[in-house]
Amino acid sequence: MYTITSDLDVRDMARGAVLLGSGGGGDPYVGELYLRNQLAEGRGPKILKASELSDDAFVLSIAGVGAPTVIIEHLVSTHTLLRLLEASESFYGRKIDALISAEIGGVNSMFPLALGTRAGIPVVDADGMGRAFPHLEMTTFGVYGCAATPSVLMDDSGNVVHVHTTTNRIAEDVVRSVCASLGSMIFGSFYPMSGRQVKQLAVHDTVTHTLEIGRRIRTARESQLDPVRGVLEFLNAPAEGRYARELFNGRIVDVLHETRDGWHWGRVLIASGAGRDPEFRIEIQNEYLVARHNGRTVTIVPDLIAILDAESAEPLTAEMLAYGQRVRVIGYSAAPIMRRPESLKVFGPRLFGLDEDFRPVEELAAAG
Amino acid sequence: MSEASPVLGVDVGGTNTDAVIMRGDEVIAAAKRPTTADVGEGLIAVVRAVLEAAQMSPASLATVMIGTTQFINAFVQRRDLTQVAAIRIALPKSDGIPPMVGWPDDLVQAVGRHGYLVGGGSFYDGREYAPLDTAALEQSARDARAKGIRALALTAGFAPVRPDIEQKAADIILNVHPEADITLSSEVGGLGLIDRENAALINASLRQLSRKVVTSLKDALGQLGVRAPIYFSQNDGTLVSTAYATRFPIVTCSAGPTNSIRGAAFLTGLQDAIVMDIGGTTTDLGFLVRGFPRETATAHLIGGVRTNFRMPDVLSIALGGGTHVRGSADHVVLGPDSVGFELTRRALVFGGKDLTTTDVAVRAGQASVGDPKRVASLDHNLTTAVLDRIHAQIEDAIDQMKTSSLPVPVILVGGGHILLSRPLRGTSEVHRPKHADVANAVGAAISMVSGRVDRMFDFAGGRERALEQAKEEARMAAVSAGAEPDSIEIVEMTELPMTHMRTTAVQVKVRAVGKLRVGAP
Repeated sequence: MYTITSDLDVRDMARGAVLLGSGGGGDPYVGELYLRNQLAEGRGPKILKASELSDDAFVLSIAGVGAPTVIIEHLVSTHTLLRLLEASESFYGRKIDALISAEIGGVNSMFPLALGTRAGIPVVDADGMGRAFPHLEMTTFGVYGCAATPSVLMDDSGNVVHVHTTTNRIAEDVVRSVCASLGSMIFGSFYPMSGRQVKQLAVHDTVTHTLEIGRRIRTARESQLDPVRGVLEFLNAPAEGRYARELFNGRIVDVLHETRDGWHWGRVLIASGAGRDPEFRIEIQNEYLVARHNGRTVTIVPDLIAILDAESAEPLTAEMLAYGQRVRVIGYSAAPIMRRPESLKVFGPRLFGLDEDFRPVEELAAAG
Repeated sequence: MSEASPVLGVDVGGTNTDAVIMRGDEVIAAAKRPTTADVGEGLIAVVRAVLEAAQMSPASLATVMIGTTQFINAFVQRRDLTQVAAIRIALPKSDGIPPMVGWPDDLVQAVGRHGYLVGGGSFYDGREYAPLDTAALEQSARDARAKGIRALALTAGFAPVRPDIEQKAADIILNVHPEADITLSSEVGGLGLIDRENAALINASLRQLSRKVVTSLKDALGQLGVRAPIYFSQNDGTLVSTAYATRFPIVTCSAGPTNSIRGAAFLTGLQDAIVMDIGGTTTDLGFLVRGFPRETATAHLIGGVRTNFRMPDVLSIALGGGTHVRGSADHVVLGPDSVGFELTRRALVFGGKDLTTTDVAVRAGQASVGDPKRVASLDHNLTTAVLDRIHAQIEDAIDQMKTSSLPVPVILVGGGHILLSRPLRGTSEVHRPKHADVANAVGAAISMVSGRVDRMFDFAGGRERALEQAKEEARMAAVSAGAEPDSIEIVEMTELPMTHMRTTAVQVKVRAVGKLRVGAP
C-alpha cells in the first residue's frame, strides 16, 4: 500500500488516465481537481495491491455515469459521494473495505480515488478493463462472472434508485435511462465483489500505470527528451505480456464527429506531410476503435490506441482532436486477460460493428 | 479608387510602446518609446514621434488600433490585481471542487480566497435543477461588501445555456451591493464550469486596471487631437471597441503574441515560419501556419490558471534585451530577471549600473545603441561566453517549437533581435524584415474583424448543409462587424456532438475574419 501525497502525482495520474482512455472515458480534469483539493486539505488516496486484500474483503466499484459535456458543468459533490457510500453500505449490509475503478481510462479512474480519499477507504490498484469502454457490461469483472448489480444510483438532488437486473447488458440500458431522466449525470456503485474475485478478475496495477505513464511523459518533457519514447519505454513490458509501438506521426487533415444513438462516432484522417494524401485513419466510437495505415489494420480494439500531441506528448481525447494538429499515434496491447476469447465476445471488434476479428497489435506490426 | 486612409497601429508592451502609421499595405512611419508607468505619457511620446516622421496631423488618422500586454503582464506578475469574490450558483452540485482549486498560491494571495456557493443552476437542456437561492446570494453579496470587495465573478451551472440565471442573480446582488462590479461567466467563456469561472475571476481581478489603462490611453490620444475611432486587438488578431476592452480585459490577454506573429507574416510575406519576438524581458516563439498563429491544442493556462480560451501556442523563455548578466566567462548566469522598461536608465550603455544582454551585444559590435565606450572594458571572453549561451538557449527553444526535423525559416522581430548575430541551428534562413522592431504595432494596424457562430445545428438534413449554413452565418456576422465582404475567410471550424444523448444536434463553432472596411464605424 502507498499513499499519494503530491499534487504533481495527481496530475500525472490524470494524464496517464487520458492515455489509457484510448480517446474516450471523459477528461479526468474534474476528478483531478477534486483530488488536488483533498490533498490541499491534508488527505491523500491510499492505493492497495489486490494481493493485500483478504479473500473475504468487500470491494465496490464507484463510477460516474453520464455525458462528458455534462460533468464539466455539474462537477462533483462531496455530499453526494458520501451519501452514496452510506446508502451503499446500508443497501449491501456490509462495510466497504476497499473501492475499485471499473474503468481506469478517463474520468472514472478518479471517482473511486475521490471518495476513497474523502472517506478514508483504500483504493485497489486495478480496474475492470485497463482502458475505457462505453458500456457497463464491458469489464473483465462481468466477462468472468461478476454481476454489475445490485447497484445503487444517486444524483446530486438526493434521488436514489436501486437497480437489480438479470444481465449486465440490461443493467447498462437501465442505468443509462435512469441517467437520462436525472439530467445525464449520476453516480453509482457497481460490481460488488469479494477480495478473492478482485484478485482473479481484475486488470491489475492500472492505478500505478496511470501514475507511471503521466510521470514518464512529464519527466521526459522536463529533461528535453522525446516524451513519446519515454512513455513507450514504460508501456513495452514483455515480462507482463505487454507491447507498444509508435504507429504514425503526422498532421490531422480531417476530423468528423457525429452522434448516432447517443454515441460519439467519428473518424480522424492523418497525413505524414503537407500536400500528401491522408494515409492514416482512425475510427472512433467514443474511443479510438481501429487504426489503419494505408487501409491495413495496425491496431484494433480491445488493444489501445492513443493519440498524443506531437511536441508535448499530452494524450488527446477524441473531443480534443482538431484540424491541423501535429500528432503521434501509439498502439498498445491490452492486458492478456482482455484478449481471451471470452473477453472478445463482450468487447471484441464485432461488438462495435467492425467487420473483422481481433488481431494483436504485435502480430499486426510483424505482418507489416 | 481613392488612396487608402492612414491608420495608426500601437503596441503598448511591458518595456516599449511602439507605433506605426500604415496606408494600405505600406508602412509610412514607425517609432518606439519606453512604456511609462501610467502608459499615457509613453503613448503621447510615441504618437507624436510617428506623426512627425510621417509628417501627418493627428486629425488625418482614420483609425487607431491598440494592442497591449498590460493586462496579461499584470496578471502574470500578480500586480495591480483586486481582491475578487467568486460566487458560484450550482448547489447541490459541485461542492467537491470549490472555486480556485489548483490556482498558484501567490495568485490566491493576490486576489484572495473568497468563494461562495449558492443554490441554483440548470441542466444541459435548460431546465433548472434547483431554484436560485436568493437569500444565500444576498448573504454572499453582503459578506463581500463587508470585506470591501467590489470585483465579483458570478458563475452558474450551464450558464451558456441559461445566461438569464446569471443576469437575474447580478440584479439581486446589485440591490444589496450597489458598488459591485460583476463579471458574468457567460460573458467570457463557453462550456466547462471551472474554466469559465476561472476566466470570469481573471477578468474581474483586472477590471479596475483596465478602466485605468484604457482611460489613460484614450485621454492621451484625445490630448493629441486624434479624433479617429479607437479599437483594441483581441486574442485572435481581431478588433473590439474600447468599451468592450474595458469590460473584458481578458480578451486582450494574448493579443501581444498574436499581433507579433501576424505582423511578422505581413512584413515578410511568409505563410509558414517560426516567429521569434525578442523583447526586453522575454523571448516569445510562435508558429505561423498558413498566415495565422498556431493555437494550443490543449487547455490554455493564463498565469498558471486554466481557461477555455484558445490562444496562440507561444513558448516564452526568460531572455530579452534587458536580461541581467552575472557571473564570469567560465560560469555565465543569464537572468532570469530583467531590468525591463528601465533598460534605458539601468543598462551600462545608457549610463546605468546593471550589466545586461544589450550591453554585451553592443560590446560585441552587434548593435549600436547607447554609448559603446561605457562597455569598452568588458572582458572579451565574457562577451563570447554570454553570446554562446544566448544562441544556445534560442536554438533549444526553436527545437521545442518545431514539429519535424526539417529546417524552418525564422522571422526575428522585437527590439531584442540585436542579441543574435550567428546562424541558428535547425533553421533554413533567418529573416530580419524592415520594421521588425515594431512588428507588434504592424500586427495591430492590420487587425481584422471577426464574426463568430457558436450554437447548436441540426445535422438531420446532412452535415455538409449544416456546416455551410454555419459558415454563412459567421460570414454575415463578420460583415456586420465591419468586414470587407471579399476579404472574409473561414479560419476555424469545430464540431462538438452532444455525446451520450440521442440527438442529431451538434454544437458548431465557426470563426470568419476579414479586413476592416474603410469608414466602418
